[in-house]
Amino acid sequence: MSAAAGVALGYEPLAEEDRGAGRLWIAAGGSHVVPAVGAAFKNVLLSAVLELRPRKEARVVVLGAETDALSPRARAGLRAQIAFLPANGGLISHLNGWENIALPLGFHDPARLRGLAPEVYAMLEQFGADARSLLGRLPEQMTLYEKKLAGYVRMRLGRPRLVLAEDAGAGLGAGERGRVAGFAAAYLADCPEGTFVQLADVPDESG
Amino acid sequence: MIGVYRELEGSMRLAAHVLRRFWVLKLPPVAEELARQIYFTGASATATIVIRGALVGTLIIAYVIEVLNADVNLAVKMLLWVVLREIGPLIAAVLVIQRSGTAVATELALMKISGEIASLRRLRIDPQDFLVVPRVVGIALANTALTVYVQFIAVGGGMVLSALVIDASLGEMAGSFFLLASPLDLVYSMAKSLLFGAAIGVIACYYGLNPPGDSINAVPKAAISAVTQATLAVMLLNIMFAYLVYGSALFGLFTALQ
Repeated sequence: MSAAAGVALGYEPLAEEDRGAGRLWIAAGGSHVVPAVGAAFKNVLLSAVLELRPRKEARVVVLGAETDALSPRARAGLRAQIAFLPANGGLISHLNGWENIALPLGFHDPARLRGLAPEVYAMLEQFGADARSLLGRLPEQMTLYEKKLAGYVRMRLGRPRLVLAEDAGAGLGAGERGRVAGFAAAYLADCPEGTFVQLADVPDESG
Repeated sequence: MIGVYRELEGSMRLAAHVLRRFWVLKLPPVAEELARQIYFTGASATATIVIRGALVGTLIIAYVIEVLNADVNLAVKMLLWVVLREIGPLIAAVLVIQRSGTAVATELALMKISGEIASLRRLRIDPQDFLVVPRVVGIALANTALTVYVQFIAVGGGMVLSALVIDASLGEMAGSFFLLASPLDLVYSMAKSLLFGAAIGVIACYYGLNPPGDSINAVPKAAISAVTQATLAVMLLNIMFAYLVYGSALFGLFTALQ
């Protein structure tokens, strides 16, 4: 069993028979892809990492901390450093682009809302979006790429140390997939000590 | 029975959450939600709700005057006791249930089913802080404002109509009205409206956040439950108010006999 220090994300099933298939051990820093993550394991992993509560079935390490030994205060502090990026951006349907992007900061760090616009514009334009138009539209008026991008910008503003991202390329055309592939690099350029973990979908073998 | 208890307990918990976390209204996203809710329930609905409310209020007065063969004194008492204290808050509440209660329950149930509530939690945002607190406060405030509009127009309309029917001058009617009315009447009806609005908001949010299933079919069921239970709650609150304030469940008889 590895030491927790220097580990961004560790998940090790406690049952002997599950250890081989379900073990996940990711070193801190850089971009990582976890291949072929099934929906069931993804749900288990996400709840383990985002809830940070002791679990009976697995040992969980997040940003070097064992989650079964966390005080509520430490848990809240650690949770603030983790972000999840869903495949569809995870936007709220009745809020426009700007309101969606500014939402977490409005709750957790309202002082940063002032002077936020240039940062948001720069990030959106870096990935080829018409920022003014995107920020004024509701999610239902956005393309899938725009939703993913808005979710990504929202995540970046929180400056997390660990990002768990669902398969960002799913459902996109080749050009957009190319831009989405730059998400991790742009995040790491902004936050060199961060870790970007992409949970790739199980390949579709039906066709 | 257990289901009823669970729903009652859930609604009470939600109401307690609103009281406990009132301060979140100062956060920019929550303040925006509050403004949106007040605009939707109050401002954008003003014309339709006030016209319908005022028509019903005026109609009631017309019937009462005709049936009881009322004089100026009785007509004014009717306007004060029936329209100002009772019908105004009730009509506004019923119309707000129809419009905003259904909208809130439907919206929240859809958000729950589509995973947006879970998205909020993943952003470390308590859905009750962001969605429930501003909706409950917004509906309570907007319902109070709508009640005042309805009362103003219904009393005004009732006075004009009464003056025509019972052959009394409008000035005479207005004089009698302001002689009988006291600021307490307005405070009483506004306190009731505030409570009615808060109850409508809490119940609509409760059923919206707890739809009976994960499929799209659960959305209309949540809306129907919200409307039914909110109407029941408003009626019960009205009876409780009458009993607490006037010491008699049969509000109206007590004051009418004076």
